[in-house]
Amino acid sequence: MDDDVKVLLIEDDNAAAEMYRLRLVADGYAVVVADDGEKGLAMAVAERPDFIYLDLRLPRVDGFEVLERLRADPKTAAIPVIILSNFGEPELRERGLNLGALEFLVKADTTPSRLSETVSRVTAPKALPSV
Amino acid sequence: MTSSAFDLPAVEDDRDPFFDTAARIAAQIATPVGAPARRASYLRLDGDVLTAIAEYDETGEAFRGRYELPLFPNFERAVITGAIQVIGLSELGNLTPEGAAVVTRHQVRSCALVPVVSGSGVAGVIAVSARDDAGFSESQLCQLASLAELVGLRVGHVAADRALRAEAERTQGLERLKGEFLNIAAHELRSPLGIIVGYVSMLLDGTLTGSDRHTALERIAEKSDEMGRLITDMLETARMEALGVELALAPTDLMTVITDAMAALEPRLGSRHRISTRGRRDPMPVIADHARAVTMVRNLLDNAVKYSPSGGGILVAWTRRGGMCHISVTDHGVGISREQQSMLFTRFGRLVTPETSHIRGTGLGLYIAREIARLHGGDIAVRSEVGRGTTFTITMPLPSDGPPARRLNGAETMNTAVPGNS
Repeated sequence: MDDDVKVLLIEDDNAAAEMYRLRLVADGYAVVVADDGEKGLAMAVAERPDFIYLDLRLPRVDGFEVLERLRADPKTAAIPVIILSNFGEPELRERGLNLGALEFLVKADTTPSRLSETVSRVTAPKALPSV
Repeated sequence: MTSSAFDLPAVEDDRDPFFDTAARIAAQIATPVGAPARRASYLRLDGDVLTAIAEYDETGEAFRGRYELPLFPNFERAVITGAIQVIGLSELGNLTPEGAAVVTRHQVRSCALVPVVSGSGVAGVIAVSARDDAGFSESQLCQLASLAELVGLRVGHVAADRALRAEAERTQGLERLKGEFLNIAAHELRSPLGIIVGYVSMLLDGTLTGSDRHTALERIAEKSDEMGRLITDMLETARMEALGVELALAPTDLMTVITDAMAALEPRLGSRHRISTRGRRDPMPVIADHARAVTMVRNLLDNAVKYSPSGGGILVAWTRRGGMCHISVTDHGVGISREQQSMLFTRFGRLVTPETSHIRGTGLGLYIAREIARLHGGDIAVRSEVGRGTTFTITMPLPSDGPPARRLNGAETMNTAVPGNS
């Protein structure tokens, strides 16, 4: 039996994390939350998530640095990371994608259900035929 | 920044070579051929004092220093009438002791006082004195009058230039304000809005059940309140900068202000923060703007919560001492270094350090709080230690006949408009 797909939220805004957790859990995902960059990196290794949502503005270690380090560490390099931020500037988006993020989502434009759908889309087993 | 005429340095009266030239020309006009050189000074009028800011004399002492009009009736008459005063030997006997001292010291035998008119009134006086008895001819007085007109034009020009610079600065300040506000709207308002939109969408599509629905509604209420306060802060700041603030003064009670502020904070207080209080719950009657006073205290409380992100106790204490009420808010959060304390109360002077760069907020709260305290005749001070915490203390006067209300106009507040000024 496969484990539930596990999602790591690296997000310091408690209200946002709580809200995403509610949706993701309702949709059957396991959720762990880190509220700063340092903890985020530690949990990426310890929890072995299948998916990471990464906020940019974080205490201790900021989002871009977390992304760089995730990509540099062989233990975490393969985990898909999507940036979830309220900064919409094109330069930031470009930087994030160049550093290896799969997508750059603006929180205010992304409903919890879209968040959840994105996880399923990205983690769907490739072998299954499309319906 | 595009360059403009205002890139030229502003001219200061006291070092303006124009007035030196004017004094020299006045002395030359006033000196008849073959006569010993006469001396001239330009004196600037401030209130009822004439101050010499330029002199020309080859051989003696021209008028120097300050002359208070009441003590020098001839100067006073020149200023009040705007007409040239010629004072000859005969009148020199009727001087005040101060006048007589000047005459003796500078060996004045006669003098001509030529008022300089600019814009709305007399800006100064060209004073010419002679150590000889030849007096001043009609022609010389005419030329001095023409010179005075030119000096008046100059003075008017400098004043207009200053006014234009101030206006340009104000406009630049407002442009910066607009830019910063747009930035805030984009980032700081998006956060709470995202939460509201997210929870509303989940309530609508039935994702949430049971107690989660209650949680959702609580969060929506919290975030709506946060957005409301942010918008209010932005409006209040814009008002303070552009229009000035007039307090809605009425008899109220600082004790009520404190309790109202704490009650307003309640919905935003998570489980990680605890408020405790210290002080006697007696009324503290004042004349104040109650709503703004509550905002002032509440902004300090908000600050304490924001800058102690890992939670902890917040202490609100108050005491009366020496006709003042001291209200302090203490947190045990990240603290503020000395260098940063100077930026603390500036508009948008939010502290950005690795520990705080993620903290949301506009930095307007403290600026507004201090402006409100000062409008009431009080102030706000800070004491802090990095890593240990911070105490903000409001002092408000508790006089028996009410504090002086000060109207803050737009020009006064522009000193705090430039980031970095405190």
